[in-house]
Amino acid sequence: MTELTVENLHLRYGDNPILKGVTMTLDRGEVISLLGPSGSGKTTLLRAVAGLEVPHEGRILIGDKVVFDSTRGIDIPAEERNLGLVFQSYALWPHKTVFDNVAYGLKLRNVRRDDIGSRVGTALDQLSLGQLAERYPHQLSGGQQQRVALARALVYNPPVILLDEPLSNLDAKLREEARAWLRELIVRMQLSALCVTHDQSEALAMSDRILLLNGGRIEQQGTPQQMYSSPETLFTADFMGSNNRLPGRIAEIRNGVALLEGRGFRLWGTAKKGVAAGADGVGMIRLERIRVADGPGDNRLAADLSTSMYLGDKWEHLFHVGDARVRAYGAEPLAAGRHWLELPQQSFWVF
Amino acid sequence: MSSRLLLLALATIAAPVFAQTVPPGYPADYAQTIAAAKKEGKVVIYSALDTKAAQPLIKDFNAVYPDIKVEYNDMNSTEMYNRFIAESASGQGGADVMWSSAMDLQVKLVDEGKAMTYVSPEASKLPKWAVYKNEAYGTTYEPAVFIYNKRLVTGNEIPHDHASFAKLLNTDTAKFKGKVTTYDIEKSGVGFMFVVQDSKYFPGMKDLEKGFGATSYRVYASTGNMLEKVSSGEHLLGYNVLGSYALVRAKKDPNLGVVLPKDYTLILSRVMFIGKNARNPNAAKVWTDYILSPRGQKMIGGEVELFSIRTDVQTEYTAASLDKELGPNAIKPIPVSAEITAWLDPKKRLEFLSDWKKNIAAGSGK
Amino acid sequence: MATVAKSAVPVATERGALALLAGVPRALTIILTAAAVLAPLSLIVYQSLLNAPFFEAVKQVGFDAYAFIFSDPDFWSALVNSLMIAAGMTVIAVPLGGVLAFVMERTDFPGKRLIEPLLLVPSFVSPMVLSFGYVVAAGPVGFYSILATNLFGGIPWGLYSIAAMAVIAGLTHVPNVYIYASAALKNLGSDVEEAARVAGASPFRVAASVSLPLIMPALLFSAVLIFFLGLELFGLPLVLGDPEGHLVLSTYLYKLTNKLGTPSYHLMAAVAVCIVAMTIPLVLLQRRLLQNVRRYATIKGKAGRIRELPLGRWKWVAVALVGLWLFVAVIVPLTGIALRAFVTNWGFGVSLAEAFTVDNFREVFNEPTDVRAIWNTVLLGVVGGALTVACYTAIGFATHRRNDAWSRVVDYLVLVPRAVPGLLIGLAFLWVFLFFPPLTPLRQTIFSMWLAYTVVWLAYGMRLISSSLLQVSNELEEAARSVGARRGRISREITLPLIRHGLLGSWLLVFMIFEREYSTGVYLLAPGTEVIGAELVSLWQGGAIDVVAALSLINILLVFVGLAIALRFGVRLRD
Repeated sequence: MTELTVENLHLRYGDNPILKGVTMTLDRGEVISLLGPSGSGKTTLLRAVAGLEVPHEGRILIGDKVVFDSTRGIDIPAEERNLGLVFQSYALWPHKTVFDNVAYGLKLRNVRRDDIGSRVGTALDQLSLGQLAERYPHQLSGGQQQRVALARALVYNPPVILLDEPLSNLDAKLREEARAWLRELIVRMQLSALCVTHDQSEALAMSDRILLLNGGRIEQQGTPQQMYSSPETLFTADFMGSNNRLPGRIAEIRNGVALLEGRGFRLWGTAKKGVAAGADGVGMIRLERIRVADGPGDNRLAADLSTSMYLGDKWEHLFHVGDARVRAYGAEPLAAGRHWLELPQQSFWVF
Repeated sequence: MSSRLLLLALATIAAPVFAQTVPPGYPADYAQTIAAAKKEGKVVIYSALDTKAAQPLIKDFNAVYPDIKVEYNDMNSTEMYNRFIAESASGQGGADVMWSSAMDLQVKLVDEGKAMTYVSPEASKLPKWAVYKNEAYGTTYEPAVFIYNKRLVTGNEIPHDHASFAKLLNTDTAKFKGKVTTYDIEKSGVGFMFVVQDSKYFPGMKDLEKGFGATSYRVYASTGNMLEKVSSGEHLLGYNVLGSYALVRAKKDPNLGVVLPKDYTLILSRVMFIGKNARNPNAAKVWTDYILSPRGQKMIGGEVELFSIRTDVQTEYTAASLDKELGPNAIKPIPVSAEITAWLDPKKRLEFLSDWKKNIAAGSGK
Repeated sequence: MATVAKSAVPVATERGALALLAGVPRALTIILTAAAVLAPLSLIVYQSLLNAPFFEAVKQVGFDAYAFIFSDPDFWSALVNSLMIAAGMTVIAVPLGGVLAFVMERTDFPGKRLIEPLLLVPSFVSPMVLSFGYVVAAGPVGFYSILATNLFGGIPWGLYSIAAMAVIAGLTHVPNVYIYASAALKNLGSDVEEAARVAGASPFRVAASVSLPLIMPALLFSAVLIFFLGLELFGLPLVLGDPEGHLVLSTYLYKLTNKLGTPSYHLMAAVAVCIVAMTIPLVLLQRRLLQNVRRYATIKGKAGRIRELPLGRWKWVAVALVGLWLFVAVIVPLTGIALRAFVTNWGFGVSLAEAFTVDNFREVFNEPTDVRAIWNTVLLGVVGGALTVACYTAIGFATHRRNDAWSRVVDYLVLVPRAVPGLLIGLAFLWVFLFFPPLTPLRQTIFSMWLAYTVVWLAYGMRLISSSLLQVSNELEEAARSVGARRGRISREITLPLIRHGLLGSWLLVFMIFEREYSTGVYLLAPGTEVIGAELVSLWQGGAIDVVAALSLINILLVFVGLAIALRFGVRLRD
């Protein structure tokens, strides 16, 4: 069942358009990430769903209830939409204890005192915060504060929770652990979640579907695999994953395969939408798809090794190809000098 | 024979009873006024005399009339005027009695019909210039004096009349530069009234004004300020200062010297009237009569440390003593009459002020 | 794992009567505020267009009043002087107040608890008395001056100059800025300052480049307010300006009351209207400078401990600064007042030992009205002050975060009453209570004075609350909305607790203001409702300056002790 529907949402600040027609749906039990660079409108979209921003055109439905409709003049205020919202800065009320922070939503719904006690207790236990109920926010670590913010948003069982950059305030190590248990929590509790993030790896790890926003519009949406392995536009390809870019000229196109020529290379790659023979093009390949080969061959290019970085689990080699810089992974260190790199045609996209 | 004796006996017995209520010499029906006043229970007074100074007066009044509560509001004369005209225009009561040293404003209010006509039994004992239309009465006798710093101004330098004051300023200019003070006649109504009267009586007024200019005189609106500055030595001479305050101060301040000008001394009299629409008219009458009575005047000339206007009162500060000291010709009281309200005409007033300023400027050489 | 059962949660329905009702308190607050401000103001404007008191039968409409004052050279020199003093005062008070607040709030300055009440002293001394203290201490025959003459051969300062007035006004208004700035600084996280410190900045550099810029709204608001206080200064220029004939707008007004014989309300009103007109560009400027207020909000959800910045070797500089300010703004005038209270006379050639007396104090205690005045004033300041703060809070909430036309209107309105000089606003309130029938029965009660005070000082008390409100991050309120709280509940349960320091600071400020107020309520006084400010002026005009000094000293001591006690027992200005 569809928990959230957004239709053709337009929003602007003054004269400045932020959302230029966004349409999406969220089904029960789904986790969707709103991904995009800053200024793409993803946080604005989230806040519009929450009711904290007012679009000037479009519709928003929660379940089958219309909470916003520009044509009929409906705009249900945020406090009546019954959603859960986790802020990037957690926004915990500093004058309330952890318990009171979480209990507030239940208090507003006139839940009985003993019920509040047990429900808050359950929520805190589920998030491993049981011992901290009487502490104040400033006495908690960042990770603990985040969990309190989550508990607060979940305790009254909203149909959808909205998370604004839930992991960006944690340090790197914590972030990896956190995204694992966050995903697990959401799945276990069968929640429907809409997450905003600027980190593509986070989006890939946590979501069932990703919506990539660019300049207020949805550039592409799909499962993580689709987004990662089958980008439709240069923007999408560039945003997801770590890439090598090789600018050049498209010499010819044949059966969905294009030949890209540039300084020091001639390569065949998958032709993406919009390529034309004779025009300029950009070739893209994921770092992990480039292979260091032993010698020249089909779809290979010559490159000079500039430097190598040891990453612990692998090596990252930096090559120069003409003017371009190309990076590749390898299991072992390489000797300096010229090497050959293989770019498999299916993995090499030409835009 | 016996009936006369009987009457006398009755009178002797009754007299104390009557004496408690009607003051001596008052008409017999005054008892009704007193009774009505007691029924009213209070009298609301707006006065320029500060509460502290008025306390002995109020206490004594209550000793005679314990049933009449005195609601004493002290405020400066401008505030009194502002409040009174606003309250009467809005039809809401306020003051029963207005008692202000701004003689001209008081007379103006009387002229505008805002005062009640009341012939006080004491009126005949007051000098003629102190009674206006049987509506307003002068109640005190406060001289305008010179003050000087005793430590720094000595011997021949002490001015004893207006001419020598003017001469001092114009000849010994260097010593008195920036050290002579008087009222700012633009800010102080009393100060203005004084110099207008000076212009009448002192032919050499223009020289005095030039002298002020030459010595870059300092002007203030408050008497207290002037007294402080002359006492402390910041200034050396003060002109036309209200004598009641100066003399009280001089009593305990060894720095301050006071001179009653010999050629003539101006006298200010605080004017009292009863509001036409007074809520407590009888209490107001009783109060007014008390103030004008020998007993009240004794307080005024005694503990209240103003000067009593009645010549038949023996106390520390009296008109009689002043009259004796200066001689009757030197006493120039400011009349409670239309003469002083003429100067409330803006055009006339501004003209005077501009002449004054011109002479000051001429003296300072600009 | 147990799943949280989805229960049916009742959610409120769409907008309707309920939402409309929610807007009523706000509308009511704004309407009442507007009425309270516009009532006296409209009378004043009306009066300025007449040539006689408005309640007289015979009067004409015209611009005579304006013609008169514009052609009066006194008006122009008074205007220039006022602007100079106001500007100088603002330039001195605001940075100094900000730096002092920084030193007290954010560093480990020694003896904070002791110094803080001292810092507030100039605010609860009547300006006339304070100025007089300066005269006794540092006037031409003041004892510091005599000392200077003995040491240096002359007096290096001129107390009766415009410059001196601006400096003294600036220094004695530091406490006002201090209260605003310290309330704002209270909520800054330490991390920004520590970052600057680590980068190599001295504590004062940190203040100048980090802390103070972050509280720019508070500083800018207080700059505007201080400027306006400067325009309506009365006691100070009366005592220090009169000797050399320097007029300012308020003393010019004072002159106008008697210059033409009878008080000329229309002229006074015209002057007041001119000053009020100045509020408009000033508020515009203030809004311009604060367009992007969001970046200053700093109580976010991420709470951090506030750590004191160590002063290190800069401690002595800070001590010197604070000490110097204390000396010039507090010690000099207070020793002047104290001296005057304990002697019968003073000045040239007077041996202080001989003139010593305690009679002045005896006079105060013998005088029942004086004692009653002290009691009344404290009551008005404490209880009345609390009520006033409640009103200001309501208004603050009504304009909080709403940038619509109503908020803009309130922005201008609140400043207007203080723009009218004290002499006239007091009169205007009398007129309001006399001529607006619904209010007349309240005139003789203490309510009328309380109302006048509350309206006149709107801008000052409210700003403290508004800036505290601004510092509550938007997100905290949005988070409350997202869990289902309506506006009213958010205000009460989330925002209000978070601004309690601002509320307390405002209450303190209001108390200090009511403590020494005079002209606003002078026409609303009745026997039994005397307040200290009125007592002092009445005694002053009666020439009893010694008693004035004694009464002032007692008053200062009382307030100081009361403040110290309050601070000790939890009315904390600091955590």
